[in-house]
Amino acid sequence: MVGHGEIRVVHRGGSKLHFRAPTISADSCFLACASGDCVKVFSTSTEECIHHLRGHTDLVTGTLLRPSNHLQLYSCSLDGTIRLWDFTDGILIKTFVVNLPIYSMVASAKHEGVVFVVTPTHELFQLVAVQLPPSPQQQGEVLDLSAVIDDVSSNPAATAFGREGEFIASVKGSRLEVYFFRKEKSFSLKENNEKNKKNTFTCVACHPKDDCIATGHEDGKIRLWRNLNQKKEYTYLTLHWHHAAVSSLCFTPQGTNLLSGGVESVLVQWRYKQENQKDFLPRLGGAITHISVSPDGVLFCTSHSDNKITVIKNNVKVSAVIQGLVKGERVRTDLLVDPRSKVLVLNGRPGHLQFYSLQRDKLLYNLDIVQQEFIHEDGLQQFEVVHAAFNSSGNWLATVEERQQKSADVELHLKLWAFQEQTQSSWFFWQFHPDWAPHEAQVTALSFCPSADHQTTMLVSTSKDGHFKAWAAAPDAHAANADAPDHTEGPSWSCDFVGTYHGLVPERCCFSADGSLLAVSFQKVVTLWNPNSWELVTTLSQPPGTIRHLCFGRLSCSKYLLGTTSENLLCCWNLLTCTLEWSTAVETTLLLDDPRSENVAAFSFQEGNTDLFVFKPNEPRPLFSHKAVCSGRVARAVFAPREELLEACEESSQWLNLSQLYFLTPHMDLMTFTTKVEEERLMASSKPLVINDSVAETPFSLLLGKHRRQHENEERVLSGSLLQTPAHVLPSTSFLCSMFVQSLLVSVTDSRSEEMASDNEEEDSEEEMEPSSRSERAPPPTDSTAAATAVAAPALTKAELRELKRVRRLDLSWLSGVCS
Amino acid sequence: MAADAGSTPLLPCVFSPKSQQYLAVCAQDGRLRIWNTDSKTLYQEYVPSAHLSATCTCISWGPCRTVKEGPTRKKRKSEAGHVEEKSDLLAMGTAAGTVLIYSAAKGALHCTLDEGHTGAVNCVQWHPTESLLYSGSHDTNIIEWDLQTGKARSKWKADRGAVTSLCVSHDGKLLLSAAHVIKMWDLETKEVYRTFTGHSSAVTTLCFATTRPPDSNSLYFLSGAAHDRLLSVWQVRQDGKDKNSVVSFTLTDEPRHVDLVPSNSKEEAVRLAVVCKDGQLHLFEHFLNGPCKKPLSPSCTVQMSDTKDSPAPIPLLTAALAANIQTVLLAYGNHLQPVMERVEINTSERHVCLSRDVQTSLSLSIESTVSKVKTPVTSRSSVLAPGLPGHQAPVRGASQGSEKRKKDSKEISIAERLGEMDLSVVSTEKGAPKGKASLQTDNFAVLLVQGLESKDASLLNKVFQTRKENVIKKTVAQLPLAAVLPLLEEITNRLQGHPFAAILMVRWLKAVIMQHSSYLASLPDLVTQLGVLYHMIESRVKMFHKLTKLHGKLYLLSTQVATCGSSKAVTEVDQTAKLVYEEESSDEDDASGDEGLLDDDSNWEEDEVVDEAMEENEEQDDEDDRNPERTESKANGEEDMEHENESEEE
Repeated sequence: MVGHGEIRVVHRGGSKLHFRAPTISADSCFLACASGDCVKVFSTSTEECIHHLRGHTDLVTGTLLRPSNHLQLYSCSLDGTIRLWDFTDGILIKTFVVNLPIYSMVASAKHEGVVFVVTPTHELFQLVAVQLPPSPQQQGEVLDLSAVIDDVSSNPAATAFGREGEFIASVKGSRLEVYFFRKEKSFSLKENNEKNKKNTFTCVACHPKDDCIATGHEDGKIRLWRNLNQKKEYTYLTLHWHHAAVSSLCFTPQGTNLLSGGVESVLVQWRYKQENQKDFLPRLGGAITHISVSPDGVLFCTSHSDNKITVIKNNVKVSAVIQGLVKGERVRTDLLVDPRSKVLVLNGRPGHLQFYSLQRDKLLYNLDIVQQEFIHEDGLQQFEVVHAAFNSSGNWLATVEERQQKSADVELHLKLWAFQEQTQSSWFFWQFHPDWAPHEAQVTALSFCPSADHQTTMLVSTSKDGHFKAWAAAPDAHAANADAPDHTEGPSWSCDFVGTYHGLVPERCCFSADGSLLAVSFQKVVTLWNPNSWELVTTLSQPPGTIRHLCFGRLSCSKYLLGTTSENLLCCWNLLTCTLEWSTAVETTLLLDDPRSENVAAFSFQEGNTDLFVFKPNEPRPLFSHKAVCSGRVARAVFAPREELLEACEESSQWLNLSQLYFLTPHMDLMTFTTKVEEERLMASSKPLVINDSVAETPFSLLLGKHRRQHENEERVLSGSLLQTPAHVLPSTSFLCSMFVQSLLVSVTDSRSEEMASDNEEEDSEEEMEPSSRSERAPPPTDSTAAATAVAAPALTKAELRELKRVRRLDLSWLSGVCS
Repeated sequence: MAADAGSTPLLPCVFSPKSQQYLAVCAQDGRLRIWNTDSKTLYQEYVPSAHLSATCTCISWGPCRTVKEGPTRKKRKSEAGHVEEKSDLLAMGTAAGTVLIYSAAKGALHCTLDEGHTGAVNCVQWHPTESLLYSGSHDTNIIEWDLQTGKARSKWKADRGAVTSLCVSHDGKLLLSAAHVIKMWDLETKEVYRTFTGHSSAVTTLCFATTRPPDSNSLYFLSGAAHDRLLSVWQVRQDGKDKNSVVSFTLTDEPRHVDLVPSNSKEEAVRLAVVCKDGQLHLFEHFLNGPCKKPLSPSCTVQMSDTKDSPAPIPLLTAALAANIQTVLLAYGNHLQPVMERVEINTSERHVCLSRDVQTSLSLSIESTVSKVKTPVTSRSSVLAPGLPGHQAPVRGASQGSEKRKKDSKEISIAERLGEMDLSVVSTEKGAPKGKASLQTDNFAVLLVQGLESKDASLLNKVFQTRKENVIKKTVAQLPLAAVLPLLEEITNRLQGHPFAAILMVRWLKAVIMQHSSYLASLPDLVTQLGVLYHMIESRVKMFHKLTKLHGKLYLLSTQVATCGSSKAVTEVDQTAKLVYEEESSDEDDASGDEGLLDDDSNWEEDEVVDEAMEENEEQDDEDDRNPERTESKANGEEDMEHENESEEE
């Protein structure tokens, strides 16, 4: 970051959500997911981000529920630390410093206080057991490291714990290695790869109860291996449904089902031991990269390559979708801002345009442009949205989609989308009949005429076939007198003009701000046309070098036309004199005009970095320049008009007052510029509201709490005066019996837990109380609320538990009295 | 509120503050629904446990939550930088006297504040800075809740009657309450600071209009009451002589929801949006500066209507003012399915009527499809061809005539003529004598010229539906030269339309070019005139070559399939294996015992492949043996096809 004092370049749109498998909390309410160098905690029901767990200084590479306490979460990172979080409150509890970059992490309940991490050692990756020091300090240095398996894959899906932590299985390439902790022996299996070239392992999962390892393969097969601890007697079973590599495998906690997913974007649920029975959940979006299951088996989660996490109920129904900014391999459309709703529009999923709210930093929706099923297959040419443009009022959206097949011509569709103002909801589209293409070769640019009156809408498209065409919407004559509401078809579009210039290929087109001039660049020549009469007004050229970008000046600079050439020249023509006003040698990758002011932004590429210059065409000095905005070439950027105007006094940040500049880096990160004033205002405007968590009560817990209180009282009555009270006053025997038995059962376990609790630290006692409290409630007072009790279990507070324990102790004394 | 609001209960309907991302509505069925104003979809639905007995009477959004930044160190250039302002907590007062606090981020009830009120809660208000909540109830009490403990911090009796409305000042030091009279409380001492009298009915709305301190004579607040078509503005004066309201705003009905942008200084006007009981929105803008005798009328009134023949009004539910002066966020329609829209209102007009198509059919259970993909509406026809006349022009000619006559009687003379024409067309098609033909073509030419001049689509439709070659030829021949170019333009327009319509137009085009080519050639700007037409024809014909190829191949394939099918029916497959594949011993390459089984696997797969291949061979052999004549016929078919292709291409 270069010191411009108050202007900073900041990230928008968040980091990848699908980098690592998400972790679901024990109660299936939260979902923790590594994203960049923080961990995000989402609510699984509302899809809302609840906490950002910040603290790591490098990419977070894994998250894991602490096996001994399901309210705590481990996270590991490339910065060489493992951090322990309380993810419901978003608090960092401990930091363990390992001093080695960690690529993935596994743990098991059997190995208390040990996590197994994958770290690099001399070009290879190694699975290392890390003994976490139990010191009470915030920060702890980890010294106890012991290698378990050498040469493992850094992919977290390639390592898994088997059968209650008795062994650990790891795959790499065509080798499966299983390490048994009891025998301290490893067993390895190498697949012969000569015949089936695509037999390599991609992922591994182990059955939680059985001695069974499931492996996924490059060719789409899943193999279930059994009897691995006896040499030469192992067997395996092959399941084959996926047609491409299996990217993730996961057993449900009870081991009844096996989930698998791959590039097909279909979640397959196999019944364990009845593998011919399968359930499918197709059309989930992008390729499945990770699958995870909640500890209670209620929720499944799939991560997708289009930056999405799908939350799936265990009846194989999608219940929520957590979607970040979709980052494809490349963005082919320009960045656009919808003039009506002020949201950012760009390529999203294949064949879609995504509408991204800049204000909320949240994806609103994807608009299906192509309307064809996307087939997940390598090397298949599918339709892509390559150009999109909005008209000035936002009522019309034009899109061009193309499909380039190797041996055939380009297939093009030009679609025009009308926003239905009356229903306020939907885009209604208008496609040119598919039997003829709007152009014969690729469309190079698309631009709407920014006419002030909304009577006529005109669109200009330029194509590599050497023509540019003007499309005009005929006035909506029919819709006006159509009486039936279902007859409103809107205006129709037809070709108004076809223009050529000496058979050259038009590259760019651009309308002046008032729509009175159209500039079309034909290689080295810029032609200016009058869109009303379609006369060629004049031509401008600045050889050598073909024109790369064109834009008109705005407001007071509207007499200028700016252009960049491939010979690293930025030119400014005066349209009144038709002469070159000035030119300068700079390698410009992008030229962009602010629709609200005279400012023009130019991104220039120098020595591997992109610099930004903001200038007015009529002033020789740039208003603002920023060196090394990001590495690589910036190809897409947009000025988004601000909702609230900013009042910055500094000269260098005035250009940000009316609109904000967003740009996409070559790594598909959305970045923007903010001023200090803006940040301060945002920080000042919102103060955190603290509400104590102890009041977090659900209606169920309230209900049950009352019930339980009554219950306790009853028991106290029981203990105190059962023997004294006359029999006819007592409640029915059946009622008392169940209570009696229940108190018997509980008091035994409880006494044991108390003994242990007294020995251990407070933290441990909490953990011990957790199962004991559950067993207390296991024989339900009323059968109908059994499920409800389970739900309400986490809501029990410590105080309540203590109270309960006290009551049980009373019970025990009473029992001994009876026995004697 | 609900009890005093009159016959129709007032349903709470509130936009979230600041960014107005959500709309919380508690509809007739007692459920709380939160709508997302960006995507205009249902975001959450929450059913309070006692939603039928203890209905929700009031809703208030809490102050915006910040996402915790953790330690306030700045990251490199990335991340941070953006503080999210999210509306999270929502306080709901119920008829049973409890206050529920719901978390929109978690989608669950956060806590319940009970054992406070004995009557229905009429109003809840959040403290702007601290975690305090105020609730006013039917039992005449006001309770200050401490949200950190979830307990009532203090409770005091406000008046003899029910407390109907509350408002906390922007600095959090004063509280307004309305019962019989409007009282202003000092929140530190919980003592009455001022008392204001004037409203005769229950006050439903209280709102501070300025953010200024009370000792500068410039603290104003606003009140509205049930059955009262005025909003009153009161000034809190330093000398305590504030008996009457200083300004009043006139409305068309009693106010339901008021949204207000307070003024921070004397130079800044208060902006006010009031939704009335009759579903209208009134916008006011006023500089609060001392008393004003005359009641002020709204600077702009917004109404909504539907798009039916006789437009009926759509009630507005609530409105919120955005930071931008002209933008207003509206919610309208039904409480069960409100429609949210951000409207830019031209404040120079006094009355704005927006017509919107609101779905009248309500479904109580709203299907929430969990996907972030919006598919466009393609209900009627997915693919529309461009060209206005193209797809409107009826595809079938004569049958349309009778329908056309139903049109209104504006153009009787032409319609009559058309009628005659249709009859004669029909009759000629039926084989009537051709004597009338000359007259008819004459008429056609006149009609065509008229149609071209007046751009009358129906007239042109009539003319262009003729399919008779000689009629077209004669009509075109009789056309005056001046009409040729307009005709060509019209034809070009229509040709861009639906292919069926284009078929009709091609005949006309052909006739024009045959008749008037000499005239056209003499035009100096012919290239530009016919450029569009030329490119369209080019692009349309471009696919023809490929299509014919495809057609030929498909034909070939279908004949093959047909012949195969018929041959299968006859043949009986020899079941005995012609060749038995013996599995080789597995000793070929077992370097280790582990690999043996794997090799089996691959071997087995290979076996299968071999088997299949053999089977195929067998079948092929069978076929070849039995139907030698069939293959011949195929070859013939192929030849035929080739021939056809060529002829088509020609």
